[in-house]
Amino acid sequence: MKNGLGITLNFRKRLGSFVLDLNCKLEKQVTAFLGASGSGKSTLLNCISGTLSPDEGEIAFGDETLYASASGINLPPEKRGFGYVFQEGHLFPHLTVAQNIRYGQPKRKESSSVIDILEISGLLQRYPKQLSGGQRQRVAVARALAMEPRLLLMDEPLASLDGALKARIIPYLRHVKEAFDIPILYVTHAFSEVLALADEAFLLSDGRIAAKGEPHQLLTAPSAMPIAQLTGVENILSLPVILSDRERGVTALEIGGQHLVIPYTDAEIGTPLPVAIRAEDIIISLAADLPISARNMLYGTIQELDVVGDRTVLSILVEGHSLSVKITHEARAQLKLQKGSAVYCVIKANAINLLWE
Amino acid sequence: MRITAAEIAALSLSIKVALLSLVVMFPPGLLVGWLLAKRTFPGKAFLNTLVMCPLVLPPIVSGYLLLILLGKHGIIGGFIYQVFGLEIVFSQWAVVIAVSIISFPLLVRGIVTGMAAVPEELENAARTLGASPVKVFWTITVPLAYRGIIGGTILGFSKSLGEFGATLMVAGNIPGKTQTMALAIFSAVQLGEDATAYRLVFISTVVAFIALWLTERLTLR
Repeated sequence: MKNGLGITLNFRKRLGSFVLDLNCKLEKQVTAFLGASGSGKSTLLNCISGTLSPDEGEIAFGDETLYASASGINLPPEKRGFGYVFQEGHLFPHLTVAQNIRYGQPKRKESSSVIDILEISGLLQRYPKQLSGGQRQRVAVARALAMEPRLLLMDEPLASLDGALKARIIPYLRHVKEAFDIPILYVTHAFSEVLALADEAFLLSDGRIAAKGEPHQLLTAPSAMPIAQLTGVENILSLPVILSDRERGVTALEIGGQHLVIPYTDAEIGTPLPVAIRAEDIIISLAADLPISARNMLYGTIQELDVVGDRTVLSILVEGHSLSVKITHEARAQLKLQKGSAVYCVIKANAINLLWE
Repeated sequence: MRITAAEIAALSLSIKVALLSLVVMFPPGLLVGWLLAKRTFPGKAFLNTLVMCPLVLPPIVSGYLLLILLGKHGIIGGFIYQVFGLEIVFSQWAVVIAVSIISFPLLVRGIVTGMAAVPEELENAARTLGASPVKVFWTITVPLAYRGIIGGTILGFSKSLGEFGATLMVAGNIPGKTQTMALAIFSAVQLGEDATAYRLVFISTVVAFIALWLTERLTLR
């Protein structure tokens, strides 16, 4: 954060059998909390916004105490000055977009820059139910920014949108990050949003911080795997670009001396790209010379076989990188797969998702 | 259809009393409705029971209890008589009080239903935007609960127009003074004045029908 402020979070909150227990200091402009549903993300934001009171501990913004159980301080939400963007928007249905934006705005202030940046000037006279999902979330961001907050809290603002829309809203959020010099606390279960927006990331697991660090490093580390599995992506790799061919429409990444071909992306040779591959999207083959269309055949050896429900999960070592692959028990038996077996991992280029453009 | 002066007096008294009762009871109705819909506090179940009691008690019983409380020797009536020299029982004030007590649960129920349906998340969102609890109440809770509020108001008003038992007990049936529509119909039937009874029944039915129809139109959009 430019002004050298920090946010101190040191509190506990029990909800039923769940306990949120945090002790950390946020010092970057955009901090992301990444966690699966039920890991305590919304509880965290509600405690910071003041709409929920912790059981004990302290929350401070710079040197201003917002909550302290010891001294009985608990600033109400309207005195905290924190903008809050909710997952479902929570726009006021009886007010127009313009009235929603004006609701928290200081008197005699202009909201034109917010309206311009989020490109919602054409929507001002509409009611929330007349907006699409993406428009609704842009208005929600504008409403939170128009109050000129000291801190912006964002609770999975893209979670209710489909994939293509998400990609369209992210640039707006990056624009907000650049145009407004305020700290942002972003909570999500999506790796791609963390990589696209955050300066620092915390992994939240079962109410506690499991890891923290610079997003790229953190999310490609083995400790990210449990979270990745919960969000349905088992393989996250950071691989350098070794070839990029616009005419043929392909980009190749290097993985342990082998090529991993993905759809063309405009990236310089040498830059590491984070990619995600689901464990179900990898096919195991015992031979390399198959007449098939898939572009990638990575040679590796099986390190481990685990039975998980009705599937076998293989850990395959591809020269320094570990890939998780899910197959049926029947396939495992037919191919006579064992620890140490040499196999080829067949991956369609389209099954490889870039986590960051 | 020719309506007599006595019938007009009964009708106008009913409307006057119902309107006055509405004006007096609406602010406490909003407050109690909000407390019951949005707050948790010790004694909430008791407050709810107390407010709803007249809905299940026979009106005659409510009226009798009021008669005891408001009489010259009652706790409230005695106090008012000594301080203001006013006798409430068998006055038009007694009609207003009886009608208010009986219709209050209907008013509150409508308000509670409306306010309980306003998502807490929207109220919290307004708080984070800098609104005090009072501002949230007037700008978010009340506007979003308007259908329930209007519904409760119209139902309460209709109930006030037709209240019979409690009014009879505490205000009597004095033509031109405390004789409301319902009481006038009762008297007409007792005296065998069928034409008067028919006219008043017809007017009552029309008024009740319009009120219910308005409620449906405004609340079930």
